[in-house]
Amino acid sequence: MSNKYVEMGMRSPVNLTWEVTLACNLRCSHCLSSSGEKACNELSTAEALDLVEQLHTAGVFQVNFGGGEPFIRPDFEEILAACHSHGIMTCISTNGTLITPELVARLGSNRLVAIQVSLDGAKRETCDAVRGDGVFDAAIQAVKLLAATRIPTSINTVLTTQNADEIPAMHDLAKSLGVSLRVSRFRPSGRGADNWESLRPSPSQLIAFSDWLAASGDVRTGDSFFSLTTQERQGLGLNLCGAAKLTCCVSPTGHMYPCAFLQSDRFEAGDLRTSSFQEIWDTSEIYASFRSLRIHSCEECTRFDQCHGGCPAVAWHLKNDINGGDPECLERCVTSIADNQLKEAA
Amino acid sequence: MRKSRLKNSQSTASAGFTKMAAAGIQLHPSCRARQEGFGLLFYDCRGPRLLFAATGTLLPADYYGTVRARDEFPAGVSDSQKQALQKFVTQLLEKGFLREQ
Repeated sequence: MSNKYVEMGMRSPVNLTWEVTLACNLRCSHCLSSSGEKACNELSTAEALDLVEQLHTAGVFQVNFGGGEPFIRPDFEEILAACHSHGIMTCISTNGTLITPELVARLGSNRLVAIQVSLDGAKRETCDAVRGDGVFDAAIQAVKLLAATRIPTSINTVLTTQNADEIPAMHDLAKSLGVSLRVSRFRPSGRGADNWESLRPSPSQLIAFSDWLAASGDVRTGDSFFSLTTQERQGLGLNLCGAAKLTCCVSPTGHMYPCAFLQSDRFEAGDLRTSSFQEIWDTSEIYASFRSLRIHSCEECTRFDQCHGGCPAVAWHLKNDINGGDPECLERCVTSIADNQLKEAA
Repeated sequence: MRKSRLKNSQSTASAGFTKMAAAGIQLHPSCRARQEGFGLLFYDCRGPRLLFAATGTLLPADYYGTVRARDEFPAGVSDSQKQALQKFVTQLLEKGFLREQ
């Protein structure tokens, strides 16, 4: 990854997260967007299709659909079809509960679709404690349906303190089902903020995960763990935050943000109902501030070249300081454990 | 004679086609390219992974959207630029952004 070119600024995002609806049939305790009821004034079908046209014109390569549960939206397949008609790759993050053989058959005919099914534990009780009763079985059924097709499918797991010890088993489970494993970082936004203390992985769990990840090159992370990346995984993805540089987020109501974890008024880059996608990308002051963001407090760190200060969203949520450096980076995890050991020894 | 010529002709055409097909290269179906200020940005959704190519305006973003011969480059490219582009094409093939047809 060439940071030089990234920092020069792209004419449009490489990919983006589009939360097409806030509606969800689940109430996961770590949900980054507190999904549940449909938001007031979500983009209409016509507005969504217009946005697809704009993304095509802008040259966006891939749209990562999330929510909410995307398949709840009645026109979701129409939005997908519009993307595919322009050759835009689509990756859908779903809870799996609405995946049917008929839907899989329709999606399977298209080579521009990839699907991530959320599953938060290798054990039924671990997953269902976070996602709700019966969700583990439904998600596994969805994965089996998808694995029988040519749709690139992955299990997506949010790393929490409850499932941290099950990640290797998740890897085995994914392999046994013929799909890949993707592990995402738990961040304190949405309901994840409400349940942060009970779900956050401990520093020792994060270090153990980092070690395991180093030895598991086939496990993907969506670049959400670059602050924990060891030398072994350098070159497999980003070594800096890509928000507003390579990616951005569109909310169900058509507001644009640097990333899905910073969807608040403070970080609103623009409104697609009043400005074009390209105009917001080019002229937003929020985006400009992210492109010039330098975490000076981390520059002396020996790992700075590997993470460049980590995730600004986590720094914002935990320290109210976008420039503060990632409080849960590998270096700070190691320091935290060492401090605790010293305290115990004293 | 006529039959033989025809046969020869077919054989030549076939050989020519085979040669051209083997040398033909095209953007992999899982990959995309677009123009950026520094040159071309390639995206491979199988990773996903990116490749930044400081090609300036030498190659249009859609150049490998159709099958091209390996040594085929846009008009106006100098010999030294062709040499650099040939190395670049080899790199794109090795990394899977282009594939031989």
